[in-house]
Amino acid sequence: MSANPLATPREVLQDTSNPMQIEGIEYVEYRTSKPQQLGQVLEQMGFKPVARHRSREVLLYRQGDMNVVINAHGGGGTSVHGSAVSVPLPEHPQIAAFALRVRDAAAAHRRALDLGAWDVPVNVAPMELHIPAIHGVGTSRVSFVDRHREFSIYSVDFVPIPGVDPNPPALGNMRWFGIVQYIGGERTSDWVAFYQSLFGFVELGAERDTGVLPSGCVLSSPDGSLQLQLIEPPADLDDGVERLQRVAFGAPDVPAAASALRQRGVTFIETQQLSVQPRGALTQTWLGSVMFELVHVERR
Amino acid sequence: MNIRDFGMDTITMAGTLPRKLEAMAHGGFNQVMLSARDLTGHAEGVDDAIAAVKASGLRVTGFQVLRDFEGLDGHLHGYKVDMAKGMIDMCASLGAKVLLACSTVSQHANPDLEAIARDLRKLAMLALPYGIKVAFEALSWGRHTNEVTRAWDAVMLADMPNLGVGVDSYHMLATKTPMEVVEGFDPRKIMLVQLADFMWSEVRTPEERMTTARTFRVFPGEGVHTDAMTQLVLKLDALGYDGDYSFEVFNDDYQQMRPSVVATRARRSALWLAEDVLQRAVPLPDARRLRSLNT
Repeated sequence: MSANPLATPREVLQDTSNPMQIEGIEYVEYRTSKPQQLGQVLEQMGFKPVARHRSREVLLYRQGDMNVVINAHGGGGTSVHGSAVSVPLPEHPQIAAFALRVRDAAAAHRRALDLGAWDVPVNVAPMELHIPAIHGVGTSRVSFVDRHREFSIYSVDFVPIPGVDPNPPALGNMRWFGIVQYIGGERTSDWVAFYQSLFGFVELGAERDTGVLPSGCVLSSPDGSLQLQLIEPPADLDDGVERLQRVAFGAPDVPAAASALRQRGVTFIETQQLSVQPRGALTQTWLGSVMFELVHVERR
Repeated sequence: MNIRDFGMDTITMAGTLPRKLEAMAHGGFNQVMLSARDLTGHAEGVDDAIAAVKASGLRVTGFQVLRDFEGLDGHLHGYKVDMAKGMIDMCASLGAKVLLACSTVSQHANPDLEAIARDLRKLAMLALPYGIKVAFEALSWGRHTNEVTRAWDAVMLADMPNLGVGVDSYHMLATKTPMEVVEGFDPRKIMLVQLADFMWSEVRTPEERMTTARTFRVFPGEGVHTDAMTQLVLKLDALGYDGDYSFEVFNDDYQQMRPSVVATRARRSALWLAEDVLQRAVPLPDARRLRSLNT
């Protein structure tokens, strides 16, 4: 019994199933020392460069509702304790971050920290946008962006590339589907707890649709906009490096999207185990680490 | 002889970190339970200490000890979160997979189990990205958690995959907690077992428990609770516990002996447990691996 009866709510009025009020994915960020090469890969995949950062070597690519940021800004980052550290840019591009659209970025960030997430000290110059973030798997980060309907976060720090359509349509109606995360052995339950507790992700059962590479455990964001697939190494492989391994695009017609991509020079894995199928496909690997997956989704 | 699952705590012997590591390796051990002070007190600095541990070839059983974390509010809680992060950072640098957190003795701590569980959940979340497990241990003089059963309740309520209990035979003997209680535990939620006996038949007050714990523990088989120690190890083994056992033997006399002499006593104790108690006469190649494949 509560000492103060007024303090006890009679009804549960808050939606606890989506505690951060996630509304989608704002962008995926790659870090690399070879931004031009990665840019060419993205263009092959249908993205267009639409803007560049005012002061850093950072480029924004877009198609449809998908934003990809290529970060080639050297000069280091910050350690978990906030001290400056020199982090060399990887030659093989790495997925460095994904940003979630949430109703209130500060509230989402605070919630994560209260529950035990590690803060990423934000290193912004004057007049630059402060995007709160936490540490995710490996060296990656999860950032929080709000008010995405009211204005574009890119209008603050980015300058549009002249003469370019700022909103190029998506090739084959592609949209964000998910991110594949490689995790250590016997680490599935840990990362499930991470995404469940902090973000309200739910584990999908047999009804899940994960394209041509269905292994591991699949989580869905509470709003259904993002799937995370957690894959442990096989028992005979000691690959303990945890990382965001690849992104997956949803497409209503995978063979048609694959065909459009082939015309742009993209090749797809065609083996006995893996091929372009109506339910999904996997591209070649570029630059030693970059590949994309297509997964069938219903037309919107 | 198979004492692979047994190791020693550095606090059990005197000397510098390199001398302790050397004595353990010569004593036939392949793992070491480290204290944060081993690193921070190392003359050549923390990074050099970490390098020494890695060069020793000894596997790190775990890292201790985060104190008085749970049940605090406001700035005290914020301060302890910072301390926890510092410990986790060192733990990760060492490649240690278990962080030992012992129950609070603070009079400022909230006794409420929900509050304790909430903070343990947060601690486990802080450790999670690093692949570190948290072992919550009940000190026998803990303010609100002084028995392993209460630590178990908090761990169950917190419900995080990388959070479990640290079972410590000394504290169980001190509070006269029946060894049978471990039969109700899920072995996957036992993150570490620390073993030590002592020479008195009982330690009644928290003060007496603390003094004995810090000056006069002995290795398993050397004290007066051999039956209970045997029972504990057998019950854990029957339960399916396949983690490590570490000897945490605070003893003023051992601090005055050559580390090699102490390591020899520890080895004798490990052999007794492995061969006479657990009857592991035959080394099982890849036993741990096979177990994990079968699950």
